[in-house]
Amino acid sequence: MAPSLLHPPSQLSPAAALQLSQQAPAVLQSSPSTVSASPLSALFSASESPELWTKYENLLLSCLRTGDERAAHQCLERLVARFGDDNERVMAFKGLLKEADAANNGQLELVLKEYDQILSDNDTNIPITKRRIALLRSLGRVSDAASSLVRLLDFSPTDAEAWSELAEIYLTQGLYAQAIYALEEVLVLAPNAWNIHARLGEMQYMAATAPGAGTGAGPYRKYLAEALKRFARSIELCDDYLRGYYGLKLVTSKVLKDSAGSAKQNEADEFSLPDPATIERLNELATAKLSEIVRHAAARDPGWRGYDELEVTAARELLNKDASALPEVVR
Amino acid sequence: MAQVPVQTIHRDPQLFYWILVPITIVMILTGVLRHYATVLMATAPKKLDQKTIREQRSLLHGINVRSNFPVLSKHSFTTRRDVLTTAYESGAYLKDPERRGQAPPNPMSDPSSMEGMMGMMKNQMAMIIPNTLIMSWINAFFSGYVIMKLPFPLTIKFKSMLQAGVATKDMDPRWMSSISWYFLCIFGLQSVFNFLLGNDNAASQMAQQMGQMAPPTGQMFGPGVDPDKQFLAEVENLAVIEHYSVLDGVEQRLLESATV
Repeated sequence: MAPSLLHPPSQLSPAAALQLSQQAPAVLQSSPSTVSASPLSALFSASESPELWTKYENLLLSCLRTGDERAAHQCLERLVARFGDDNERVMAFKGLLKEADAANNGQLELVLKEYDQILSDNDTNIPITKRRIALLRSLGRVSDAASSLVRLLDFSPTDAEAWSELAEIYLTQGLYAQAIYALEEVLVLAPNAWNIHARLGEMQYMAATAPGAGTGAGPYRKYLAEALKRFARSIELCDDYLRGYYGLKLVTSKVLKDSAGSAKQNEADEFSLPDPATIERLNELATAKLSEIVRHAAARDPGWRGYDELEVTAARELLNKDASALPEVVR
Repeated sequence: MAQVPVQTIHRDPQLFYWILVPITIVMILTGVLRHYATVLMATAPKKLDQKTIREQRSLLHGINVRSNFPVLSKHSFTTRRDVLTTAYESGAYLKDPERRGQAPPNPMSDPSSMEGMMGMMKNQMAMIIPNTLIMSWINAFFSGYVIMKLPFPLTIKFKSMLQAGVATKDMDPRWMSSISWYFLCIFGLQSVFNFLLGNDNAASQMAQQMGQMAPPTGQMFGPGVDPDKQFLAEVENLAVIEHYSVLDGVEQRLLESATV
């Protein structure tokens, strides 16, 4: 898929982001430098469209990413000219630019103070709240960021973005149970997000295999069982989902490896692992699918584009490792 | 059967230029003015304070948990249900917990809801005042004679409306006076306004009248709704859920559907 300025650029590869930001002069020149908000001129000039402002926002983000700060400032100027200084979104973008311009941590602290100032005037300014949390996190004050997020989520518990950020923060700190809880909240808000299902499966797998979790214990098997089911669900929602199959293969191999003998005893309200034959078949399915995806992606077949280069490489390595380990006992 | 002779009235062609065209132009200009007056008078939606947001979104959170519970495992769901039920029942999410159990405040005395009514009043005024002015202007200057003949026949009932101020008993109702041209303009200029001002303009009165006939339904957080009652209803909704998970048997479904 060609990068488009109408989609948020957060998921783009560096090359695509660079390509977008190189369009900046053309985009900035082709659209009028100011669109007046006054009704009289709107009657005579071309009408503005929401897409234009989406473009400016995404262009701003891409330009910041590739270091083209002059173009980013131009985008911001146009947004300010249209929406005013006190629009919440524009305030967040202004803060973002200030963060980008800051040369050292001292200046970042100043930006942080400004955010605090804005929030003390208006404590419902969610874009600024989120910027502040992101800044705290990039300053390394992760626990502050987490507690601010918890405060944000207390008064706005329907914010999927904040929940998933909280999940990632908890994950970096190794608090698996909390991270899983937060990610489950994202699923409550977006029940069919297959990437979140797969991510939750990954977290549960990490929780199961984390050092100190122990094997054979109750939570260990519970995490593995749910991880397996989460991966299966993500594939069910999205055919040929590479991360889903990758996770499915990891979990099933893990379960097959250490299921030798250990009988399962589960409470009624937990998920239990399916019987070994099913796991075996799931493992075979995942292996076959992964090799199919890797093969097609390597041949650049039409209809198989769009897989992330790194993810395909990781899948290939997983398959190779599996193949080399076959003669002996699976690692 | 004797053919009714076609009535012909010789009119000054100047009537056309000095009455029909001015009335039309005035109507269009008023519509445009009304649009911008409404835009200028519109107040920005009121900022909610943090506690109100918390109250509303906590309720939404409960609704989300209730409607999307199959994505959760049984353990996670019961944890959430317990937490939400306790909080809802104790009123932890309420904006002002002291007021719990009292009757909701009268929406007329609540300043925040007064603002909404003021907005409605303003819109009404923006419609009534220009209409009254134009009608009296037309009545004062252009009444007492007919200005054109409609190209389609009408029944006698229209006579009193179309020929206001022309007291001629036998005249065909197809002859119309300036005031009826005014009415035609009111109802027929919608497409002109759409062309000039875009689709969601405030110039047309038809749209506003439609809006009044069908008031917005499903006001979840409107004035006069007791959030405590909503929370308690949500507790009941949560309590009756019999949990199942979308993850039950997902491996079997996957194995049946996936083909390599």
